[in-house]
Amino acid sequence: MASLASQYRTKRVYEITGSEGRRQLRLSDRVVELGEREFDWYQKVEAWLPSLRGVADLSRELGMDEAKVPRFIDALEKSGLLYRVDDAPKTMTGLEFHARFSAVLDSWLSQAFAHPFWERMMSGRGSARLFTGWLIELYHYTKNANRHMPLSCAHAHEKPIKQLRAKHYAEEWNHYHYFMKSLKNLGFTESQIAESVPLPMTLALSNFMRQAARQDILAYSICSAVLEGTTVNRKTYNPYYDKSAELYGIPKEAIAPIYQHLDLDVQYQHSDLFRDILEHVPEIPAQRASEILDYGHQLVEHIWQWTENIEKYYQVESNPVPRPQFDFARD
Amino acid sequence: MPTTTRAAEFRTSKDLPLLRRTTTVAGTNGQVVIRHLNEEVVLENEAAHLFNKLRPELSGASAIASIAEKVAERPARVRALLEQLEKAGVVSFQAGGNEGALMSGMEFYELHRRHCNAWLEDIYVHPLWEKITTGKATRAQVLGFAFEKYHYIEAAFEHMGTAAANATPEMMPHLARHFIEEYTHGDIYRKGLRTLFPDDVILRSQPLPSTRALVNYLNETAQRNSFAYYSGNELLQMTENTGDQSAADAVNDFYDAMRKHYPYTDKLIDSFIAHTRADQALEHQDAFRLMCKSVPPLTRREVNDALNVARNMAEHLLLFLDGIDTFYAKFATVPRLPCDPLSE
Repeated sequence: MASLASQYRTKRVYEITGSEGRRQLRLSDRVVELGEREFDWYQKVEAWLPSLRGVADLSRELGMDEAKVPRFIDALEKSGLLYRVDDAPKTMTGLEFHARFSAVLDSWLSQAFAHPFWERMMSGRGSARLFTGWLIELYHYTKNANRHMPLSCAHAHEKPIKQLRAKHYAEEWNHYHYFMKSLKNLGFTESQIAESVPLPMTLALSNFMRQAARQDILAYSICSAVLEGTTVNRKTYNPYYDKSAELYGIPKEAIAPIYQHLDLDVQYQHSDLFRDILEHVPEIPAQRASEILDYGHQLVEHIWQWTENIEKYYQVESNPVPRPQFDFARD
Repeated sequence: MPTTTRAAEFRTSKDLPLLRRTTTVAGTNGQVVIRHLNEEVVLENEAAHLFNKLRPELSGASAIASIAEKVAERPARVRALLEQLEKAGVVSFQAGGNEGALMSGMEFYELHRRHCNAWLEDIYVHPLWEKITTGKATRAQVLGFAFEKYHYIEAAFEHMGTAAANATPEMMPHLARHFIEEYTHGDIYRKGLRTLFPDDVILRSQPLPSTRALVNYLNETAQRNSFAYYSGNELLQMTENTGDQSAADAVNDFYDAMRKHYPYTDKLIDSFIAHTRADQALEHQDAFRLMCKSVPPLTRREVNDALNVARNMAEHLLLFLDGIDTFYAKFATVPRLPCDPLSE
């Protein structure tokens, strides 16, 4: 018989807030409220589930009779904080998978953009230097689409999916010119930008996309869908650019090309591409579905870490902007 | 047969002086201190005064005669100071189109070592070390450190396998040997983790994006250029195989402090030490020197490529430590389990 610990797993909690002895745990589909004591117990169960400790150890930690522990775990499952491993579907259609993805995308994006950098920029505690650094990295990230988009076409096997991925590439491959235009309006020369090197996390984003492209076209496509999800409508990005222009004296000519790029993405309806691809997938076994989802969520974490890397580097006044390549004769 | 030149003679023209971009200059009371890599040059009195006059002109674009004329100095005096500064490594003379000059593998080895020692400085002073040795690191950061080291070591399968499969004829025996000697090392770490977590949890666990970034950078370079790959890998090896007693003592002090503040990591630390000993027994500290000895002379482009990879690797290693420090502080779940259809 399977042990109690191996039967349950924890649902991802996207945010924990609290006031007056209550904790609110935000899941993708609900908010679960716990008292301080129950929250403490929940944390102990969460740490115990993937450990080697037995029910007796947990019972001691919780200060709860061993016979009551399964009932408590059952209550956590009913609240939505835990789930039974056996309840996962053994297989699903492409469109069923897409429905699951759509249901969690907003939560994933909220995690990706939970980095304090955004609040800092919007509240006036940022700088033109940080804005510029972020734009330089965005230029590299967009240019690096040429390192992963065609690779995804090369590794796709089904004709309709190959076709959709290739069309996406054809529509996107040269979009880095928009960022080059912005950066030129901030006073950089074309060669300064083109010959610069991206931050490690910027490079890591495209390397991760290359990894996904080689692994599974659906793993690649979910990552692409997460990225496209960040540009679905103007409401999500306008405030950042408008506020940055106002707070840090960014000229309108440097912002305009970015809007042109985002509008073009919306016009192409790239955010629907994942659904279009999944329409061609009749069945996804649970193991593959897990791996695809995992790629999507890892991409979310990459975005958070990318933001961290940008803030950390560009906030240091003595760091060169843009970052030149190392040349042993000059350095 | 190709001719080789000394690294310092890679540039034949001695007329376009450049103050190396990575130098820092500080000065007070008639003294100028120029720092480059781990070295320091101190100029005093007249030499300091002359350097201050020359400094704005040292962009590698102006000839000595025109610089001397501009600052109203004798060209011979200007040249004498700049050649001294070149010997000290803080000034270089820019090439006048000598792109075809070649550098021997052993000259590259020396150049690589000098730069890598400087690039590794930020790694050794990363705040994560201090947090762990003083007990300020959280449980998630400490266990996270163990998991991320495991993921990095286990990734030898990926990058070392790829490197061996894509190696040039000169590099193949070295990279094959390296892979064969290292691929079991992840299991040494896994043995330590198994004292705290079930084996299937360890095997399913996910690395941080920053660890994935380091591994993927190794993977990508391994596919592209086997010598540049090892130039980067050597920087990582330099942090493990110092063969130097004071560095070994520092590592032992680190583990002692970690055991003291985090007693539950006792067995994990045993696995860290077992891995270090396994590495030392392989004598990998000599591997890169042997590779450099066996490769054909390198072009300027190849030298820069291999050094850029080493510098990027240092940045990725710093990112690896940043990830453990910041990510586990913000998202304290450890081990990091993968998604499934119900987890989200």
